[in-house]
Amino acid sequence: MTVDNRLPSPFGTLIDRSQTVEFSFEKKTISGYAGDTVASALAANNQWLLSRSFKYHRPRGVLTMAGQDANSMVQLPSDPNALADRIDISPGLKVMGQNYSGSLTRDRNAVLGLVSRFLPVAFYYKAFFKPRGMWQKWAPFFRHRAGLGRIDQNYQADYHDKQYQFYDVAVVGGGPAGLAAALAAADSGASVLLVDENVRLGGSLNYARNDAEGTQSGRVRDALVARVKANPKIVAMSEATCNGWFSDNWLPIICRKRLYKVRAKQTILCVGAIEQPAIFHNNDLPGVMLGSAAQRLIKLYAVRPGQSAVVLTGNNDGYAVALDLIDAGVEVKAIVDLRDAPVYDAIAEHVSSLGISVKVGHAVYAAKRNASRLHLGSVDVRKIVDRGHCATESETINCDTLCMSVGYTPTYQLICQAGGRLSYDDDSAMFTLSDCPENCYTAGSVNGYWHLEDVISDAERAAIIATQALDVDRREVPSAVVHQQTQSPNHPWPIFAHPKGCEFVDFDEDLQIADIVNATRDGYQHIQLVKRYSTCGMGPSQGRHSALATARLVADATQRTVAQTGVTTARPPFSAEHLAHSAGRSFYPARRSNMHYRHLESGAQMLQAGAWYRPAYYGQAPAREDCIQREVDNVRNNVGLIDVSTLGGIEVRGVDAGEFLNRFYTFGFLKQPVGRARYALLTNEAGVVIDDGVACRFDEQHYYVTATTGGADRVYQSMLKWNAQWRLDVDIANVTSAYAGVNIAGPNARKVLAKLCTDIDLSAAAFPYMGVREGTVAGIAARVIRVGFVGELGYEVHVPQHAGEALWDALINAGEDCAIAPFGVEAQRLLRLEKGHIIIGQDTDAMSNPTEVQMGWAVSKLKPFFVGGRTLQELGRLPLKRCLVGFVIDDPMAPIPLESHLVVDGDKMTGRVTSVNYSPTLGKPIGLAYVPPNCAETGGNFTIKSSGGVLVVATVVDLPFYDADNRRQEL
Amino acid sequence: MDPSISPTQTSRRSSLYRRHSQLGAEFHRFGEAIAVHHYASDEATQAQSLGLADLSTLPRVGFKGAGTPAWAEQCGVHLPHQPNWASEQPDGTLVARLSSSELLMIGDYSGHSPLIDRLAAADRPERVYPLPRADSHSWLALCGSHAADTLAKVCAVDLRPQHFENGQIAQTSLAKINAIILRSDIGNLTNYAIFSDSSSVEYLWDSLLDAMAEHRGSPVGLEALANNR
Repeated sequence: MTVDNRLPSPFGTLIDRSQTVEFSFEKKTISGYAGDTVASALAANNQWLLSRSFKYHRPRGVLTMAGQDANSMVQLPSDPNALADRIDISPGLKVMGQNYSGSLTRDRNAVLGLVSRFLPVAFYYKAFFKPRGMWQKWAPFFRHRAGLGRIDQNYQADYHDKQYQFYDVAVVGGGPAGLAAALAAADSGASVLLVDENVRLGGSLNYARNDAEGTQSGRVRDALVARVKANPKIVAMSEATCNGWFSDNWLPIICRKRLYKVRAKQTILCVGAIEQPAIFHNNDLPGVMLGSAAQRLIKLYAVRPGQSAVVLTGNNDGYAVALDLIDAGVEVKAIVDLRDAPVYDAIAEHVSSLGISVKVGHAVYAAKRNASRLHLGSVDVRKIVDRGHCATESETINCDTLCMSVGYTPTYQLICQAGGRLSYDDDSAMFTLSDCPENCYTAGSVNGYWHLEDVISDAERAAIIATQALDVDRREVPSAVVHQQTQSPNHPWPIFAHPKGCEFVDFDEDLQIADIVNATRDGYQHIQLVKRYSTCGMGPSQGRHSALATARLVADATQRTVAQTGVTTARPPFSAEHLAHSAGRSFYPARRSNMHYRHLESGAQMLQAGAWYRPAYYGQAPAREDCIQREVDNVRNNVGLIDVSTLGGIEVRGVDAGEFLNRFYTFGFLKQPVGRARYALLTNEAGVVIDDGVACRFDEQHYYVTATTGGADRVYQSMLKWNAQWRLDVDIANVTSAYAGVNIAGPNARKVLAKLCTDIDLSAAAFPYMGVREGTVAGIAARVIRVGFVGELGYEVHVPQHAGEALWDALINAGEDCAIAPFGVEAQRLLRLEKGHIIIGQDTDAMSNPTEVQMGWAVSKLKPFFVGGRTLQELGRLPLKRCLVGFVIDDPMAPIPLESHLVVDGDKMTGRVTSVNYSPTLGKPIGLAYVPPNCAETGGNFTIKSSGGVLVVATVVDLPFYDADNRRQEL
Repeated sequence: MDPSISPTQTSRRSSLYRRHSQLGAEFHRFGEAIAVHHYASDEATQAQSLGLADLSTLPRVGFKGAGTPAWAEQCGVHLPHQPNWASEQPDGTLVARLSSSELLMIGDYSGHSPLIDRLAAADRPERVYPLPRADSHSWLALCGSHAADTLAKVCAVDLRPQHFENGQIAQTSLAKINAIILRSDIGNLTNYAIFSDSSSVEYLWDSLLDAMAEHRGSPVGLEALANNR
């Protein structure tokens, strides 16, 4: 028979009974209401078993209903380890249990629970790490067995993003303290962000009972929330988790698919307290839950937690739970009060007058399964005879629900991340917090206030202190709130060992009392070592329900106080977060020249050089080699056009411009004539070649220096850095993006350019190689530089960036009758290789100095100083260790090596190939390679280990491979 | 008003003109520049809410160097008293002081700036260096009541109107690229002028439109901005 646990209105503040939602769990259709979580909808349908435990595959169900425990982890199609008590149901949602073999109800791996006594704490370390190396063999087995959910490897990332926000005051926690703090802070005029992880503001006021009639919580909640919503200074963010605290009140707040990066001048942490479980035999059975979980089920979701219940309590809150259970139609069989002398409040007094069996000074010694073995069937109640010890006489009470109310820990995680100190007060048996950093405050139950009026007063006080620090509040700070509650809500020892174990301290990792105690006996007595040895607190709930009990057990086992034992460190994140939240929206800055679309329209295949898009070659990818060869041929024999807008451009201007370049680059620049360009090689302090370009002198105080595409920003920053030391009278400006540039190259380059450029005499005599001029090209103001990277007659034309496309169009049109054609980076690489020019970063590495790359000619021996000069002097006294040489491969049958293939001498690596390609001009493969100096003689041979280990003989030749006397580029 | 013309009728073209054309933009001439006049029939409402305009072809220029402030004042420029503030000149040109010795001069939305023309033609003493800001930097305008919300998704600086005053400048990172953000309201219209690396303008345009989608933002032409003056 299907059991319907749904309660009538007004229970269920979060559900909308007008909207039925169907989803599936374990392939069975389940019906719930909009607003239900997976766990509440399942519970309404009497499905309490949610998952299997990590190690022993024990049945697990609802424990907290607060998204704080691993018992409720389920598998969603693309999301493993989803918290069933956090995930809203939606039509068609497919939910499965996880970590079982067979079925959720009949898990074959549950047999592990029968042998748990033979799997002591750290049994991995003890059993599977010897002999040495054995763990490598065991690890795959355990990882396969121990995994929880399944990752969807076909998952398509959906849209996540980030947003910065700024507030005077951030209040974390939307319970009574948070609401009151937000209101008090806003009253001062401060802008306030109120962050709450729940759907509905109000925190415990939504479910907890503060008076016998059960009306006060709702009244107070509605009044506070109404004021918050009406206050224009408060932004209330629900379903938002503050997942960490970082310096200067930097708060990462996750809300749905966005990470808010909040900066708050003041932060008030009203994060409340986390109810703790009692520890006894089978305390993990489905049906055993926190008292607050039962209250949440009843009040928020209108779900009856069971038919008959026992309440295990160590405080008066358990009596309030009992009243709520009665209101929900649950038969309360007994209240088992751990206290031997309880001090009743009004609620407890009321309950005791109802005739419910109250067993003072008793404990639940064990929980027992029902016939299905998957749920609670009864509890074994015994009188406490000593701390943690019970009498042998027992009473069995049949029930399907056991609610535990034995104490709390403050939600200390954010506070400890902020630098707060967690201590333990032996009198109240509670953790306490102190030493919050400047501009960060705590308020409410996290401060140990439990009475509602105390909580609100404490929060208002914190808000006044915070806003006074903002200098916007002139209210007097009230004195610290005096506790109205006389008895601590924490029972000092709700822990009862059992001969058969299974008293779980840490549900995540299936750790029992003996595991913690044995960790200390194995010599790991420090709480941090206990954590790492036992893995206690390392599971998904990060010790929320185990830290207190563990500290107590370790203290007891090591004859220390809990205060002396301490707790482990709390680090962000507070709760599990998707990587997508950290990644956010993907930002991949891309740079395009003004001619970019002309390349695409011409069929270019683009490549990325840093952030820049550049045309690799023009044509279809399958015909890549033919395209490149055709482009090379057109440049060698006709005229080609390449976009060089990506080259760095740096203006160096001022009285000391020449002196600056003289110090910065290796060449001499002081005597460089106006109207001339000069090759500029850059080394760092270690004498390593790091960039190159040409320095064009347009007037006495003005140089325009080019840099490599990838090195422009680095060169510019390096210039600024050096001049910060030299303090020369010079201005340095990075104008890379201000200019679009093309290189028109080939024997017909002058002919084409002359059609568009009438105000510059382009003749060889008037405008020789390495000359620079200013004029107009196609009516566009232009800087024209006669350089020859590809070894042919060529001109670089630099124009204002926004005119790049117009320049390109004009040159293509002007060259139409010459069959001008664009060429890409790949052809340029081959052309420059034929000419023997190196590419910085390809033919050089982090050790290359000018001498070994045959660039010694570009280093002035006459200058008193340049960056790297001193190191090069020293290196010059040492023998060369390697040389970059040009080589050809004469054997037409030999495979063409690839870049980075090794140069070998027998079985010894002696160098590597840096550039290699088939030269259509020379009709054979050519390349550059580092070789030992004794192999660098022209005409000598060395061996390259090519693909598949094939050895190829290369012959050293003089550079350049092509047009050695430079006649073509100097036409 | 000039009739609609093609963006390629001049050599000076925004790298975004194809995107504008795809959105049905009508281009007009503004002074020497060609820019988007409008995309849709009525963009004034859109601009009040959230609009993005490309002003990259309009006039602007920079000067830097130790001699710049004195020279500019001699030329009649009213300089902001401290860096990272801008001041409006009588002819509508905005002069943004990026450092004690660096100025960025921005014409108004008509495409004319007598001050820029005058300074560009003026003799410059030593230690005054012009900067080609019209080409090194693109110029986008993000306007409307949701502009600050949009910027909060791509920039870590608090640019909300109540904290970032009209005329204030932030030189910062925007969607992972360097940017100069100048609050330059147009009448009652909240407006942020964004200057960033011109080669990255397509990336930035797309990033901002993506961030704007949440607030139903869309591109607007200069007409929508000018109507708010």
